[in-house]
Amino acid sequence: MSAISIQSVSKRFPNGCEALMGINAEIQPGSFTVVLGPSGAGKSTLLRVLNGLEASTDGSVRIGGETLGKGNLRKLRASVAMVFQQFNLVDRLSVVTNVLTGRLAHRSWVGSLFYLFRTEDMEVARQALARVGLTDKAWSRADKLSGGQQQRVGIARALAQRPKVILADEPVASLDPVASEEIMALLREIRDRDGITVVVNLHQVDLARRFADRIIGMNGGRVVFDGTPAELSPQALRTIYQREGMEHDNSLDLALAYA
Amino acid sequence: MNIHDLKSARPPQLSLPPKPRNPMPVWVATTLVTLWLIVWDLDISFEALVYGVADMGEYFSRYGQPDFSDLSRYLELMGITLATALWGTAFALLVAFFLAPLAARNFAPNPVAYRVAREILNFMRAMPDLLLALIFVAALGLGPLPGALALGVHTAGFLGKFFAESLERVDQGVCEGVAATGANFPQRVMYAGWPSILREALGYTLYILDRNVRMASVLGLVGAGGIGLALHDTLRLFDYGQSAALILVILATILIIDYASAWLRGRLG
Repeated sequence: MSAISIQSVSKRFPNGCEALMGINAEIQPGSFTVVLGPSGAGKSTLLRVLNGLEASTDGSVRIGGETLGKGNLRKLRASVAMVFQQFNLVDRLSVVTNVLTGRLAHRSWVGSLFYLFRTEDMEVARQALARVGLTDKAWSRADKLSGGQQQRVGIARALAQRPKVILADEPVASLDPVASEEIMALLREIRDRDGITVVVNLHQVDLARRFADRIIGMNGGRVVFDGTPAELSPQALRTIYQREGMEHDNSLDLALAYA
Repeated sequence: MNIHDLKSARPPQLSLPPKPRNPMPVWVATTLVTLWLIVWDLDISFEALVYGVADMGEYFSRYGQPDFSDLSRYLELMGITLATALWGTAFALLVAFFLAPLAARNFAPNPVAYRVAREILNFMRAMPDLLLALIFVAALGLGPLPGALALGVHTAGFLGKFFAESLERVDQGVCEGVAATGANFPQRVMYAGWPSILREALGYTLYILDRNVRMASVLGLVGAGGIGLALHDTLRLFDYGQSAALILVILATILIIDYASAWLRGRLG
């Protein structure tokens, strides 16, 4: 059974923008999938639909065999963690409290109202922080950390959920190359060691080639490529990055020459 | 598009587009005319004001010798007034804490709760605290309790609205970050909401406390106890010395609160 099954999912925003047009994909458990495509191709919308942050207008998403709907939204979110481009940490809370946020779905609201966590939740948070190498920063305020460190806290929060799937929406787009490399390696290591299914949106073709088992190319709200990194030929890249109504695109040739 | 297209797309002439109209002189002229019309309509006479200054000077000079002989009683009365304001603020804080998240569009669990919470806050804000104090004095008798309740109900409306608006300005990404973990409504409010607006919320609460101390001094006039009642009595007895002392005690208290809240806000960084 697939970890994620996407069946003819479409998304049209109230302003008329068609972000997704009939996406079909099966994502296998324990795979590392990179979604590649130009800005505005619908990559972010696709990931947000998978976590229920956006509701699809058509089609259905099944997580581990369960169809995502209003009724089981919070339950499924607990097993589908999300990592964001802008990290989306709560600035004023400590690093460890941010990580503990990942445990909220497993607990009732009474204890969390008073910021009380069980010892086993603290242990989960401690392990997650150790995995991303930020144990010493546990009690710092989240906004005092560098971008790369904040993203590692974001990943620790995702790990604390003990998820089946981690969705990462352009996790390295705001980071420098060294931090980007660290984050990608961390996500890959999580896939390898914990067997967590990872889906990553990326801009960088070289990172996609090096880290992915499978690449899904999107353009204009459709899947235009689906294969292994080895199958990602220059021709396939042209299909993914081509712009509408431009037959001879110098910028495209120049950009892909170094990809 | 290629490089040649970019070169040939250079505009033929480089003058700026027409300057947008500047409406400033019209606004200034309109304001001045309106102000003049108001003065004319209300029959405000600057002559009477000039003559009045001398009289006012004479009146204020009667407050020249504050009489602190009964200071311990004044301080006790000020204490009662402070307590009234403090309890009123605590009540407002409690109500706002529960209503504000419901009245914030981005946190409200459903549109009905949002509308109801908004309307409750509007209603509380629309009831003047002097009127509420009269009602509560009639219902509960004289004393600081009706004063505290009146202040609480009225300022809960303000505090709730301020908090709700701050909550609506919380970064959408932060809300999504917490929501994406599967957190429910109270958890989203406690982890994405309140921590993000803590500083603003403290500022608003201190402002409301400051306002309630000033208002609690006035509420004494309608029988809600405290220093206001004493001031009312001494004024009616034309006891200017004692009145001056009472006013100075109130002034000193407000100054202390102002400095204390500035210090507290600085501490929170």
